[in-house]
Amino acid sequence: MMLTGLPLGTLLGIFGGAAALTLVLYILRLRRRPVAVPFAPLWHSVLGDRDASRLFSRLRRWLSLLLQLVLLALLAFALGDPRPTGSLGSGRNVVLLIDASASMQATDEKPTRLEAAKVKARELVAGLGGSDRALVVQMGDVPVPLSTLSDSPSELLQAIARVKASDTRAELGRALELGRDALRGSPHGEIVVFSDGALPEPSPAPELGGARLSFVPVGKSGKNLAITAFSVRRYPLDKSRLEVLAEIANTSSERAEVELSLWGDGAIIDSERLHVEPGARLSRFFSDVGGTRRGLEARLRYADGTRDDLPADDRAYALVPERRRARILVVTTGNTYLEAALLLDEYLDVTDVKPSAYPPAGHFDATIFDGVAPPPATDSGGLIYINPPSAGSPVKVGKAISEFGFDTWDRKSRVLRFAALGDVQVAAGHAFEPQSDDKVLGASDNGPILVAGTRSSRPFIALGFDPRQSDLVLRPAWPLLVLNAIDSFSETDASYLSAYRTGEVWRVPVQEGARDAELTLPDGTKRSVPVQDGRAVTFGERAGVYKLATGTDETRLVTEFAANLADPDESQILPHKTLSLAGKSAPLPEPGGGGVRRDLWALLVAVALALSLVEWFTYHRRITV
Amino acid sequence: MGILELFQRKKTPRGEAARVELFDDEFQRKLEMLALVSRRVFTGRLRAERRSKKKGSGVEFADHRDYVPGDDIRSIDWNVYRRFGRLLVRLYEEEEDLSIYFLLDCSASMGFGGGQKFDQARRLVAALAYVGLANLDRVTIVGVNDGVPERLPTTRGKGRIFTAFRFLERLKPGGPTDLGEALRSFAAQHKRRGLAVLVSDFYDPAGFEHGINVLRFEGFEPYVIHLVDEREAAPPLDGDLLLVDCETGDEREVTVTPAVLKRLQTAFSDYRSTIEQFCTGKHVPYLAADVSTPFDEIVLRALRRGGFLK
Repeated sequence: MMLTGLPLGTLLGIFGGAAALTLVLYILRLRRRPVAVPFAPLWHSVLGDRDASRLFSRLRRWLSLLLQLVLLALLAFALGDPRPTGSLGSGRNVVLLIDASASMQATDEKPTRLEAAKVKARELVAGLGGSDRALVVQMGDVPVPLSTLSDSPSELLQAIARVKASDTRAELGRALELGRDALRGSPHGEIVVFSDGALPEPSPAPELGGARLSFVPVGKSGKNLAITAFSVRRYPLDKSRLEVLAEIANTSSERAEVELSLWGDGAIIDSERLHVEPGARLSRFFSDVGGTRRGLEARLRYADGTRDDLPADDRAYALVPERRRARILVVTTGNTYLEAALLLDEYLDVTDVKPSAYPPAGHFDATIFDGVAPPPATDSGGLIYINPPSAGSPVKVGKAISEFGFDTWDRKSRVLRFAALGDVQVAAGHAFEPQSDDKVLGASDNGPILVAGTRSSRPFIALGFDPRQSDLVLRPAWPLLVLNAIDSFSETDASYLSAYRTGEVWRVPVQEGARDAELTLPDGTKRSVPVQDGRAVTFGERAGVYKLATGTDETRLVTEFAANLADPDESQILPHKTLSLAGKSAPLPEPGGGGVRRDLWALLVAVALALSLVEWFTYHRRITV
Repeated sequence: MGILELFQRKKTPRGEAARVELFDDEFQRKLEMLALVSRRVFTGRLRAERRSKKKGSGVEFADHRDYVPGDDIRSIDWNVYRRFGRLLVRLYEEEEDLSIYFLLDCSASMGFGGGQKFDQARRLVAALAYVGLANLDRVTIVGVNDGVPERLPTTRGKGRIFTAFRFLERLKPGGPTDLGEALRSFAAQHKRRGLAVLVSDFYDPAGFEHGINVLRFEGFEPYVIHLVDEREAAPPLDGDLLLVDCETGDEREVTVTPAVLKRLQTAFSDYRSTIEQFCTGKHVPYLAADVSTPFDEIVLRALRRGGFLK
């Protein structure tokens, strides 16, 4: 017998105190109510018989005290929560990993696969033996234990009821590691996975430390259509127009005729019927989409109107980055090509000044220095230097070079996005000598000719030649380069948000100075999220449109962003009847040991209650007084 | 009713109010009825209102005895002499007024439980005294406890009944009971022997028989009326109590249970039976008077039983 509640010393203290108090109460003389009688000798004759049995009377009084002490002892013992020693060591220790990934929202099992898994988990808990213990873990992208390693069925059932499906994938490897750690040191360990089997096999397979792995499959069919990708962008040269990409997949085993529709701000924009082969993916562009202010949504369904088994991936959301008018200052003596490039973006407010008039009054998001490099003013924003002179250039101007081109450039750079620079010819220019923390975006064989960096916390981009000395100005790459450079400065603006993917840690830009933010989930619930390095950090579990609020009442800024499941693996909902780990298939769990749960404290309290009733009865029947 | 009358009513003495309550008109009507009944019961048998045991010169024939010289020859029964040839003298019961003593227990136990026992006892004494006075007997009422605290001097005649009422109203229960000592004092004070009606609950720590024996040994004719209150046999008590004797102040701790109450009831019944058996064994008339029984019914029972009226 072991005490799992209060320690023995504490129990003895409690019992000693209570017993002493009871003893004092018994020793103290009872204050009796005086009652007058007409003839006491009559009572004497009656009580004389009791005098003869006074010893027995006293004994009965002591019996009553003994009964009270036994009652106290039982209650004190119950506080210790005694358990048979064998029940702690010989029973099974089971970790229940309940898959809460997006595929568990499939409705091929009614109402959902997750609910079916919960039913099976409850059955397993009901079948646990009296000496078995279990731990309930919600297996999502991050495994979350929802109970302790407990033998209490009620605690386990409550934990099972709290399992919720998310729009993420399930990380089996992490969950198995958690189960292994929880079972470390416990004999007869077993990890039971309740899942549809659509789980990425962890590589390398985690060592389970001797624990047995079991698998309870759920799911019947895999009829599913999914939007596996959904993105939107503005045309670089016409940012009022949008281009939308949607990728759909048919994970079922039959050819499907589907209807893909595009919705903007709650109204349908476009719809198209497509045939998707079994197991195939199909990309579809919606080009030249206009008229949408903010929100876009893609919806997918069978052409005959029927629904698939997993509604979670039949919708995808995207929010178009909000455009605001950027104030651009151009310090030049005159550059037609530069002016033409800037005219392509209607959202730019361009101010031209002569170098002698710099700096003008006002605040600017970006300043373009064309052939000059005066000391930048405070409100100049990001700086773009075109063919800067040595004096004042943020990056050291090196040797003069001629007849060169872009031999290498950073194709992933936002500044050079969509720009084809391979055959640009430049007559003359200068090579830069950038600092170590500067980034070379483009270079000829003679040295860097396009450099980005930061000086005094102010970003800059420097081009080492006059574009008019090249054919760059005759190519689409020129306006792209200029506008991308301007966009790259405004990328850090708090109002710019992109779409996110569930199952990842999101870092959403917020306005400067914000220390925390309030996130409103798609279902309307709100929670506070921390802000680190100017970005709100949270783990994304749900697809949909989120709202992020920062600042106080006066400076409150609410921005929106969208998140999608967009996980082709998770859309593969065809259930697996087996679960393999390191080449070994996990069997069904062993049946429970049965037996009655030995919650001795409840039994002790029941006995104490019964004794109390007996004591009450005997007292009022004047048996023990 | 005027305001003045209201004030006058407030000035009514307490004793008067109590008298009205204890011996009201209804009570007095019942007394008249009882007096009539007593006469009808004994019609034809009682010529002189009361007869003594002494034989003498009355008119009622009692017995014969042999003639001895010196006897009044007018008393010789010549008819007997003619038939049997013997000279016998006719004896007549001497006509003498009887002395009736009402010995009323005034101890504290008689006032226990709201004084119903004491009230019943006073009504019984008043009723029997009225019967006695109506029959021209000499009636004396004496209050006893452990002595003789109160005494109504010997009186006779029906008109004196109100004196008896006032005396009875004045009596208050109190003090311990010692009937033996009290009746010894009574016997010493009253040389004229007669009927001694002892009205008591006989809660005498020294023993109920002492008082009765004193009366017997002193030449009185005891008549026992035992006041009984059945509620004292089954008091509404329960639990842990400290019992206090209302007369002696003796204390006794007790836990009252149904079993104890049952034994008390048995003891009470046994005590009553013991008194009755004692009286029967000593040829002393015994009458149990329950407080819940109307007093006139008890008086009638006493008259029918005999022993009170000779």
